[in-house]
Amino acid sequence: MRKLKMMSAAVLSLSLLLSGCGNSTKEGQSSDGKKTASSEVKITLLNSKGEIQAQLEEAAKEFSKENPGTTLEVIPAAAGQSPFEKVSSMYAAGNAPTISMVDPGDVKKFADKALDLSNEKWVKDAIDGSLDDAKTEDGKILAFPFAVEGYGLIYNKAVLDKAVGGNFDPASIKTRKDLAELIKKIQKTGVASNLQSPMDWSLGAHYLTIGYSVQSNKFEEVEAFLTNLKEGKEDLTKNEKLNGLLDTFDLLKENNVNKKDPMSGTYEQGPELLGKGKVGLWFMGNWAWPQIKGFDTTNGNYGFLPVPISDNPDDYGNSQISVGVTKRLIIDKEQNSPEQQAAAKKFLEWLVYNEKGQDFLVNKANIIPAFKNITLEPQDPLAKSIKAYMNNNKTLRSMVTLPPDHWSQVGAFMQQYLDNKIDRKQLLKQIEGYWKSQQ
Amino acid sequence: MSSQKFFDRLKVQLLFSGPTLFAFFTVVILPFLYGIYLTFTNWDGVSTSHSFVGMKNYLAVLDDAAFWTSLYKTMKYVLLTVILINVVGFFLAYMLTTEIRAKNLFRAGFFTPNLIGGIILGFLWQFIFSNVLVYIGEHFKIGIFSSSWLADPDKAFWTLVIVTTWQYSGYMMVIYIAGLMNIPKELLEAASIDGANAFVRLRKIILPLMVPSFIVCVFLSLQRGFMVYDLNVALTNGGPYKSTQLVSMYVYQKAFLSQKYGAGQAEAFVLFLIVAIVTLIQVYVSKKREVEA
Repeated sequence: MRKLKMMSAAVLSLSLLLSGCGNSTKEGQSSDGKKTASSEVKITLLNSKGEIQAQLEEAAKEFSKENPGTTLEVIPAAAGQSPFEKVSSMYAAGNAPTISMVDPGDVKKFADKALDLSNEKWVKDAIDGSLDDAKTEDGKILAFPFAVEGYGLIYNKAVLDKAVGGNFDPASIKTRKDLAELIKKIQKTGVASNLQSPMDWSLGAHYLTIGYSVQSNKFEEVEAFLTNLKEGKEDLTKNEKLNGLLDTFDLLKENNVNKKDPMSGTYEQGPELLGKGKVGLWFMGNWAWPQIKGFDTTNGNYGFLPVPISDNPDDYGNSQISVGVTKRLIIDKEQNSPEQQAAAKKFLEWLVYNEKGQDFLVNKANIIPAFKNITLEPQDPLAKSIKAYMNNNKTLRSMVTLPPDHWSQVGAFMQQYLDNKIDRKQLLKQIEGYWKSQQ
Repeated sequence: MSSQKFFDRLKVQLLFSGPTLFAFFTVVILPFLYGIYLTFTNWDGVSTSHSFVGMKNYLAVLDDAAFWTSLYKTMKYVLLTVILINVVGFFLAYMLTTEIRAKNLFRAGFFTPNLIGGIILGFLWQFIFSNVLVYIGEHFKIGIFSSSWLADPDKAFWTLVIVTTWQYSGYMMVIYIAGLMNIPKELLEAASIDGANAFVRLRKIILPLMVPSFIVCVFLSLQRGFMVYDLNVALTNGGPYKSTQLVSMYVYQKAFLSQKYGAGQAEAFVLFLIVAIVTLIQVYVSKKREVEA
């Protein structure tokens, strides 16, 4: 009898435990914002840019102060967790954030859950091309461009000034020949000309993808090129532009400061060599600024050069650098009330048109905004350089919506090419093979 | 009456083993079965829906050359590490059961690497291979160390083998020491009176009596070798250019980076079958060699 009691007690506690779990999810579902109809609107923003969490919270307070009755709460995504993973688990739990900051490639996956933003005021002020990959096939705009980043050959102006004997003008490098001459001039001053870092993400996601975006200045044509690649209809060995880009890569490889042992380089090496003026050029993006700053010896005189793909100065890509939206905001329409959606729209507008919103973006969070009406000058030299290219409409599209493992797989092929383990033909065949396996 | 008794006994057994069974069932059996189910779907790892694709993922495993290359590399790695770990471990144990000074200090010292987690250990050795050794190599003009071992596909593979051996041989040493201490002294004494020298004693008495320890150690090192992931990620991260990507890492990347969860899971299941077969054969074969003292 006693045994039976103990048994039933155990079973009871177990079932309590289980039902406890069950109940809490139910409660979570019923207590979401949809049902609470009141003048107080509470919206949430999932932040996947960890480095600006504090600034974003500050901005949220500012926004709530200016809009009484609306409170904005910022939820951080754990470091290293993909925003997509976090947002989809929040959807599964029934409390999707009102605004989610996601990677550009994720936007389409939320197509049926994201609010249509086509009629927002900021759409017409967004810079050209910044909304292309946020559009559905029928032209609906689903996401807000939050941050812009760009990459190219970063130069140390002090080194280049010395090499050209005077004031170096980045616009003077328009062709591969110009670049080759510049490299020779730098080497004459006794400094190594350039560093080519061997990280797979840098080679696979950034360098090689220039070869995709220079195929055409029209978004649809580049997409068509990628579709052809997937279907195996593209012969890359005959692709002039991609081969041109790789010719430039050969030039950079040949003069690489790590030439003897190209795979031994690390990311950390770059900011040090460039900042201390031990190399003149480094292929990287504006995110490297905080690290370069630590070694800076030139009072912040840096900028970007395009990666030339041919000897014709008029070719598309020879005077443009790759710039793209790397974070996007989407508004949920499934689990948030119309009031919440309206408040979220208001916040996006606040970021673009309110002085404090702009101040947060540019000055506090060091973000390059994707809007023409924001005239605040960015703080750091690399962002300034990107902004200048953007103002002159000299930008290439960054390929930010490629398959999720493109950077890793193609990056490995590029590493083999950098290390002279495979030749050009093998490299191109491997890239073709990768794309074919994506069908 | 007898059925009443049966239920009584079942109740008692459930009372004690029930919670463990429940935990085992929910955290091992269910995920295992669910995982097998997922191999028949095209789930991408994150989306809320997926559809049934039949055997497609398993056919894809057969076609995936990169999977078999990484499996081949893993086999090579396992073979080398199993031999090295056990040879070094046994040698250390043999030395440390003879009459030498500071025995316990040495035992503790050799065991310590095993207490460091694979990730930290990987970063530690990454620093050693790409900075310390290169510095020494350039300073003293030692050609083999003058460039980072991690930048060369063949040498990077050996760094994995070396670090694994360093990490686990101390652990196996402890098991071998326990085995060596259990060998009856009178057998060895009798043998030496009969004129057997140290080598003959080792070959004819110690090794046959150590078979149970060998079974355990080889099994442990086999299984750890096949499943290695943390060290692979932290030390070489599969590089240079995926040349040292062992099979666990490959499968993980397939499932989560390429977002082909179904295909990755199918590869993981194939890996499970291979590991299970290899270890079962190993245990079966070596059990036969066991002898009684």
